[in-house]
Amino acid sequence: MSESPHITGWGVASALGVGRDRFCAALLRGESGIATVRRFDTSLFTTHVGAMVAGYESDDRDPTLLSHEFGMLALHDALAHARLELGALQSMRAALTLGASLFGDHTTESLAHDLAKELRISGPAITVSTACTSSTQAIGFGADLIREGFADVVLAGGIDVLTPALFAGFHALGVLSKKPCTPFGRQMGTTLGEGAGFVVIERGGLRDAVTRARLRGYGLSGDAYHETSPEPRGRGVAAAIRGALDDAGASAVEIGYLNAHGTGTVANDTAEWCAVQSVFGSDLGGSLPLSSSKGHLGHAQSAAGVLEVISTLECMGAGLAPTTAGFEEARPGGPPRPVGSKQPKPLVYELALSSNSAFGGSNCALVFGKAKPATVSDDDRRRVFVSGATALCAGVSSIEELASTYEAESPLSEAELQVDLASQLPRVDLRGIDRASELLTTVVSRALADAGVQLRGETRARTGLIAGVLRASPDSLYRFHTSLERRGFAKPDTTAFAQVLPSAAQGACAKALNIRGPQSTVTIGEGSGLMAAVMSAWMLARRRDSDRIVAAAVDVRSEHSAEGALADAACALVLCTEPTAVEVAGIGLAGPGQLDEAIAEAKRRSGLSERVESLVELPNPFGGMPATSSAFALAHAIGALRRGKSKNTLVATAGTTASVAMILTSDGVTHDD
Amino acid sequence: MSLEDEYRSLRHGAALSRMDHVGLVRVSGDDATEAVDAICSGDLWVRDGRMLQTLILGERGQPVADVYVCPDDDACILMFEGITTEELSACLAQYADADLAIELEDLRPAYELISVNGPYAWEALSKWLTPDVIGLPYLSFYHFDHGTCFRAGKTGEYGYDLAVRSEHVERAWEDLLELVGALGSGEVSLETLDLSALENGFFSVRHASVEGLTPLELQLQWRVSARKRFPGAAAIEERRAKGMERRLTHFVARDGVESGDPIRDADGPVGQVTTAAFSPGIGGVTGMALLDLSVAHPGIDAFFVPGPNVDRPIRTVSSPLLFNRSLLVDPHRHTYATRDETSDPPLWLGSLP
Amino acid sequence: MTTNVSDYVSSRGAVLDRVRRMLRDTMKLRIEPESIDPDVPLFGTGLGMDSVDAVELVVQLDAVFGLTLAGSLWVSAKLRTVNTIVDAILELGNEP
Repeated sequence: MSESPHITGWGVASALGVGRDRFCAALLRGESGIATVRRFDTSLFTTHVGAMVAGYESDDRDPTLLSHEFGMLALHDALAHARLELGALQSMRAALTLGASLFGDHTTESLAHDLAKELRISGPAITVSTACTSSTQAIGFGADLIREGFADVVLAGGIDVLTPALFAGFHALGVLSKKPCTPFGRQMGTTLGEGAGFVVIERGGLRDAVTRARLRGYGLSGDAYHETSPEPRGRGVAAAIRGALDDAGASAVEIGYLNAHGTGTVANDTAEWCAVQSVFGSDLGGSLPLSSSKGHLGHAQSAAGVLEVISTLECMGAGLAPTTAGFEEARPGGPPRPVGSKQPKPLVYELALSSNSAFGGSNCALVFGKAKPATVSDDDRRRVFVSGATALCAGVSSIEELASTYEAESPLSEAELQVDLASQLPRVDLRGIDRASELLTTVVSRALADAGVQLRGETRARTGLIAGVLRASPDSLYRFHTSLERRGFAKPDTTAFAQVLPSAAQGACAKALNIRGPQSTVTIGEGSGLMAAVMSAWMLARRRDSDRIVAAAVDVRSEHSAEGALADAACALVLCTEPTAVEVAGIGLAGPGQLDEAIAEAKRRSGLSERVESLVELPNPFGGMPATSSAFALAHAIGALRRGKSKNTLVATAGTTASVAMILTSDGVTHDD
Repeated sequence: MSLEDEYRSLRHGAALSRMDHVGLVRVSGDDATEAVDAICSGDLWVRDGRMLQTLILGERGQPVADVYVCPDDDACILMFEGITTEELSACLAQYADADLAIELEDLRPAYELISVNGPYAWEALSKWLTPDVIGLPYLSFYHFDHGTCFRAGKTGEYGYDLAVRSEHVERAWEDLLELVGALGSGEVSLETLDLSALENGFFSVRHASVEGLTPLELQLQWRVSARKRFPGAAAIEERRAKGMERRLTHFVARDGVESGDPIRDADGPVGQVTTAAFSPGIGGVTGMALLDLSVAHPGIDAFFVPGPNVDRPIRTVSSPLLFNRSLLVDPHRHTYATRDETSDPPLWLGSLP
Repeated sequence: MTTNVSDYVSSRGAVLDRVRRMLRDTMKLRIEPESIDPDVPLFGTGLGMDSVDAVELVVQLDAVFGLTLAGSLWVSAKLRTVNTIVDAILELGNEP
């Protein structure tokens, strides 16, 4: 159950070509996919280059359509490479993990939903929306699904489309280079790109497939520093790299090549180099071959991670180290000798590491390669408990009030939810914090207090945060788009731009509270809160890089969103490995419409099949809070267990793109299967 | 070096100084931040690895110490001028809750503080430390083998304060002296640092101060919290309620103006000179004047210091005075050796009255 | 002479008030505009504006005061304190 999953294939739709063959040929010739942007007018900007998907350079159809098209192209390409027929895929326990941060008023799970439906993937489809680390994380979580036994094959990757609005936002931040970017080189700034990529990750031995590489592990961290700038000493990047090495059971000296995030911006490249030297030491770090693929592919945003992993996989297979297109002379403060030849250079290596960083401070690193992993025993798994819980919506500001609402079956208060975060956190600068961030920070802060946790010293790096949210901030989107209309594309509201991302609230919360451990923003549509809790549980059980993870969810009502939440709500639960009265006995995950399967799975894993009470049948007074209501149910269950009103409780939700179940017990006796 | 030479080397190269007048302590313990918060006037909205400029005020609202608060994991490093470490300790004892769990460690003499300031200070540092120091943002710090590098400075140029372990400081001084020597510079005195600070409008707790001045008059409200309790808070509230009457304003003059001189206009007194010094950068006198609030604005030519023979006209100006050369230097692209100042705008865009 | 000074401080004072108000709103500061020192540094220290805020500031100065600043060198050299913003407006502003 814990072996390193097998990577059996991959597929792309990229600026270097659609389909592996074209992509690989162009990559090996050292070509760049960066060119003058033809899709939209760039005359108002000081730069006019970008890396559009080959063949789509002038295609200005709706980005949602393009996303879907890029995704399907890459998915089919990946399945072909893995020699996995569609029919075969549909008969396996298949899942989809997608990195996507949609920029419109769509719920972020909709793309994954559509792709999974079209491929008839019956298992769960999880979307990660953490901007530039989205697809890197998606691959990591895909590995988890296999390792945890929730799927036998996962299509993991990411998709992004370069739109005028995105271009305008980055341009206004002053991070775009005038000419094609030169990562680690003399020109400052990055070049935007787009595309889609997927890797096929499988459990070994289930079918006659060629194992091209093993996915050994991943690491996650947060900078807790700034909305758009990385922590200058690369501390967060270093933590993610160490986490990945640890998860992979590998040491730094075993890494034969490193694919850096290497955007080419002033802030990223120096910070990243600090991190590499910190993890690998200046000797090893100085001799470790490293490069950035962004000179070839531009910065493909939510698809960057997967495309860069695929670049590495292609080159690794050919006995080559990918090169840094555009690099000529090293910039001061960056790596002095990245792989910068015109073409990939010969290098034999068995293990590679790929790293990405994102707005909001999230960092993710992956370790993969042909090197045979050591077997990991299941005895290393830790038990997971719940140490804190809090709930927040109009009329509810504690678990007790939550219980009253459930039991009284009374309708929710119509009053507007008031919070005074400044009094709760007097020493934190909360200027400009938006509503979602404010609510999320409030509940996470209270939940940690409920758990008796003070974030000091090491605790900060060993505390994580997984947020379940459904959409980009509608208010920030509105402000951003209005600024484009009123002030023009050369002068958008950059504060709004930084707050638009679905992961903005998680980033702001982590920054306010100084949470630096593994963190992410995920969605399955309805039920995202419970999904965040389930993910937190499996991460704590199998990983060693955190001692507690806060699973949280937030919904924000907005007049600017057509079908958004009906009320403001937020919920946070602290899961940990220190024993408490409430334990996570089992978790279950299945595809949408498979609630029974998810529940059965949770029961089986908990070993408590017959003795479980259920809260699922309780009336749900929290309609219109798609991310939070499932977390409320969990919080309510925790409250009931703490008060001794039940011994074993099941909480389950039929989410939009996955069915999720969790069994909690206060019995003190559990076992895993 | 003469003051002029020192000044030139600081403003155009990189100058080295000893900072024996600056205190350095670490406050640690579970309640370190809370204790520091209790004595400082500003909101401690500052992250690990960053620095915040704030003040410690006396009961009458007058600045008593100029402080950088530097959170370092859960401890707080304080770099301060104006009081001794004993006085700081007494301040904590007086104003921080007695129950707070804290420890105060004087980092001297285990460490010595030296400083490098100038448009090419980063170049000296990138050779003495590692090249990635150029990525350190203003008001940030990090630890290296033999000490801590704080990027701060009160001259308006790139500035780095180095807390170096005493056993390494002699060697460090030699190495840095050689490095700044290659940048056309050498050691500069506190006087030169103070002059540079005055030109750039940096508050100095050592400048002659006039009794009864609070952060309101001194234009330091930005270092004062609008919401928390701290020593001197009541006095400031009282002054606010009463209304500010005067404000510190920057000025320039040709010559013959000194600290303490009265300032008048055609109708009568308008204020007083609080600090004045000759600036080689402008070829005249620069300083600060406490003026009546109604006329405490830059751009006024109507004032003068009355003299026995001749009145000395003064011109009020905006801070900072100079177009610092550091604004034109990009560590990612420039070096001292390849600098070309011929096409640079002048150091001072104004003129003397 | 005195008359000139009082006209000058009056119009300067009015611009100062408007700039303080604009900064207070842009930076979402929870203080009275009068509490913003005229010589407070804008970036790094003082008001602690960062590169994201700088972009917004330039836009607001154009929209509210008709102040167009070409090139980032102008911004870093001309806009260093509240008073320098007022100076730039009085010198180059062109109110819409």
